[in-house]
Amino acid sequence: MKEKILIVEDDKFLGEFLLKRLKEEGFEVFLATNGEEGFNLACEKRPELIILDLILPEKNGYEVLEDLKRNPLTSNIPVLILSNLGQKEEVEEALRKGAEDFLIKAYYSLDDITLRVRLHLKKSKK
Amino acid sequence: MKKKKKVFFEATSIAAHQLKNPISIIKNYLEVLSSEEIGKLNEKQKEYLSDIAEILEKMRRIVEYLLEISRIEEGKYKLKKEKFSLEDLTENVIKDFKIWAQATNTEIFFKREKNLPKVFSDPIRIRHVIENFISNAIKYKKPEKKGKIIISIKKRGKFLLFSCKDNGIGIPKKDFKKVFTKFYRSEKATQLDPQGTGLGLFIDKATIEESGGKIGFKKNRGSGMTFYFTLPCSK
Amino acid sequence: MIQKKKKILFVEDDKFLRKVYKEKFERAGFEFLEAITGQEGIHKALIEKPDLILLDLMLPGKNGFEVLIDLKSNPKTKKIPVIILSNLGQESDRKKGLSLGALDYLVKPEISLSEVVNKVKEYFLKLEK
Repeated sequence: MKEKILIVEDDKFLGEFLLKRLKEEGFEVFLATNGEEGFNLACEKRPELIILDLILPEKNGYEVLEDLKRNPLTSNIPVLILSNLGQKEEVEEALRKGAEDFLIKAYYSLDDITLRVRLHLKKSKK
Repeated sequence: MKKKKKVFFEATSIAAHQLKNPISIIKNYLEVLSSEEIGKLNEKQKEYLSDIAEILEKMRRIVEYLLEISRIEEGKYKLKKEKFSLEDLTENVIKDFKIWAQATNTEIFFKREKNLPKVFSDPIRIRHVIENFISNAIKYKKPEKKGKIIISIKKRGKFLLFSCKDNGIGIPKKDFKKVFTKFYRSEKATQLDPQGTGLGLFIDKATIEESGGKIGFKKNRGSGMTFYFTLPCSK
Repeated sequence: MIQKKKKILFVEDDKFLRKVYKEKFERAGFEFLEAITGQEGIHKALIEKPDLILLDLMLPGKNGFEVLIDLKSNPKTKKIPVIILSNLGQESDRKKGLSLGALDYLVKPEISLSEVVNKVKEYFLKLEK
């Protein structure tokens, strides 16, 4: 059975790009363009991994992260932050709030992101 | 000109000292508000107060920097010196930066010689120097390349030589003279350092020189820079 | 008649400013989008087609003026009104901003949040007439 990945990304261009690539890699992929939608899809689809941007319209990524970690349905799903934000305190805050990993968009190619996705899926299977 | 400079730094020192007072009063007000002893707060209000506290802390740090600079300029820069292990301190700082480094696709390597003696200097200030070196190496990395930072400590006669080598975008040659001056910031300041004050290296230089050491940098043959400093071993 | 929310794009690298502007503008009934670098701002302007852009001048990488030039030279974005928000009130900067095509030039420390919101509201009201 295909592993499910949820992408929460408001940049439609990047979101579609990532979706297409991960589908090619053999995953079942869902895309949400805002926090509310992302949270609801996470509860509904119970993905094996969530890729979450921090800058989102209305609810920001940190709030979505907190909601996901508070909800017993979604608290065990590893969250990989993929964001343009990149200062030390911002990265540390996300990890404190329960994110599994943090990738600053400008420094990671699609190949790199895919590698990390696989790494985390492998890790969570154990 | 020298007299004007002296007056300027005296004035800066006085102003900075005076700023400390209202900053601490605001901190007190925030404390009372956040404790909810004068009224219950909703989540958002608590969050906003916490943000204000963070912004205030930033102000406080800038004021501290200004005071440091004035002290340095007035020749009154004092360090709290003691014997300590440079490699233990470095290990600690690297641990602290690991997560952020990883987020930028950067790996930090630490090489040190065996049986290194302790050094004699101010560990808190030296910590700042190391943090600054690593921070800069991360901030000025090439976005498309995997970042590699190699930190090494070697014994060199009666000194320890600390160096931080990166494979980043480097500093343009025309800026070499300005690197340790006040307020120097490369034009290529990346999004990882949008509000850097550019005061770090100026204070770092004073710290190392006050300790009896040397600070410097060189452009690597490949890419990036190597920043280094020396500190006298303790007897 | 239900009016669609006006879309504002805020290009600003300070996280606290983004937060407080977002709060204020969303409460005022606007849809609020953010970008933290000039490059991201240009990118979002192209995809999202905002109704107005609030642009900070001090940005990492591409600065505000460079972003403004890019926006105004691209047929897809040149019609979007841009209001510059600056930390400094240099007259030379103001002249430069306006000559490059900015709708207005506001100095952050001299203007309140409510006043910024009002300026934006005024612009849209004028547009309707």
